[in-house]
Amino acid sequence: MSYPGIDTYSMLDSTLHRFDPRAKLITFTILIFSFAFIAEIVVALLAVIFSLTLIFISRIPLHFVYRSLKFPALFIFTIIVVMAFTVQGMPLVEIWYISVTMEGLEIGSLIFLRAIASLILAFLMLATSRFDEIIKAMYSLKIPNIMVQMISFSYRYIFVLLEELFTMKRAMYTRGFKMKLNQYSLNVLGNMIGMLLVKSYDRGERVYRSMISRGYTGNPRLFTDFRMVMTDYLLSTVLLATALSVHFFPLIMSK
Amino acid sequence: MHISDGVLSAPVIAAGWIVTLLFIVLTIRSTMKKIDIVEQIPSFSVMTAAFFVVSLIHIPMGPTSVHPMLNGLIGIVLGPIAYVSMFVGLILQAFLFQHGGVTTIGVNAALVGIPAIIAYNLFSKGYERGISEKTLGFVCGGFAIALAALLLVLVLLSTGQEFLGLAQVAAVAHLPLIVIEGILTGVIVTYLAKVKPELLPIKIKK
Repeated sequence: MSYPGIDTYSMLDSTLHRFDPRAKLITFTILIFSFAFIAEIVVALLAVIFSLTLIFISRIPLHFVYRSLKFPALFIFTIIVVMAFTVQGMPLVEIWYISVTMEGLEIGSLIFLRAIASLILAFLMLATSRFDEIIKAMYSLKIPNIMVQMISFSYRYIFVLLEELFTMKRAMYTRGFKMKLNQYSLNVLGNMIGMLLVKSYDRGERVYRSMISRGYTGNPRLFTDFRMVMTDYLLSTVLLATALSVHFFPLIMSK
Repeated sequence: MHISDGVLSAPVIAAGWIVTLLFIVLTIRSTMKKIDIVEQIPSFSVMTAAFFVVSLIHIPMGPTSVHPMLNGLIGIVLGPIAYVSMFVGLILQAFLFQHGGVTTIGVNAALVGIPAIIAYNLFSKGYERGISEKTLGFVCGGFAIALAALLLVLVLLSTGQEFLGLAQVAAVAHLPLIVIEGILTGVIVTYLAKVKPELLPIKIKK
């Protein structure tokens, strides 16, 4: 069973791994939002290079990065293709009625680069810290209780229920079921999903009762000892400066 | 159905977040009136995880495959709080599995969440009128996807005219999904009505 565990390499030691989780959460989020709205293609390219540099700093094995980002990146790449063919403008290549336009290629590439830069950052943020540290950081940043707890519980149960789903699927395939696109398959699949929901509901009730009986009130008890040190401030400053400069540099340059 | 980072313009992203935060506050408030939501967090989370896992199932379709979103079903089962559930699901998807975008969580949540709430109301109103749960499930499931696709097209077009082509491609890609989700939701709702009717917003017949 291979789980999509993003924190597989959170035990490594690097500048990014040692970065205070609270500061990491804030600066990376700001950086993601900043990179997502870059206006120029050259700056977007620099942003991607910046993100790639961060990967090297984090010392996360490249095969893990590749495995995690392959499909998301491919999905974003389809946007370039669609945009290249559909946006009106000066045609570069023309085959019958279909044409690839310069404008479409430009907008498509800009979107692709912005998305990749943000994607790598979102990946790095969680890949370089243990999930429980992120949760603790979210509590200490005063994000509403309900939200943080739903995120952490859901995360936990995704893996439990994945296991359940695989068991059910294995049972179905052992009995000779083949997934096709027809009414029969959808019926079987629907019943299986229904069963999964019923099981999950019962499990939820059990978890609820056991947590209530252990005195769960919805308020977390935290023992955290986050402390910002010099390097944390330094790294935060660098990241925030980058977030600002990708928007200000083009303005200064154009004047 | 995920819009990635970097596609939409800043005003659209901002509007998405405002709408989503508003809906989260409203749905949590309205659910609070009926039950103590804080104590129900564990069971809501388990259901959120269940729907997340369901969306990982792939159904082969021609050369590619589609995965069900079942946002109509989530709405029917969880009620208005489904919006929060899907918001959490999208956060997990963006950060832990790198699907969809981070900046677009607000917009994406609105795209799937608003149809879910409407599907819930449609289902409970229709059931009172005595329509069978199979038909209702089919209609609600298909409707939720159709509306989500329509909202997606509107969001893309509101960002810029150059997205017309992308919007058309996205809309066409959703057409088969409407039928698949409709059938699937119909089957699941029928199953739940037989096995565990308390999961549905219906009165149990004695």
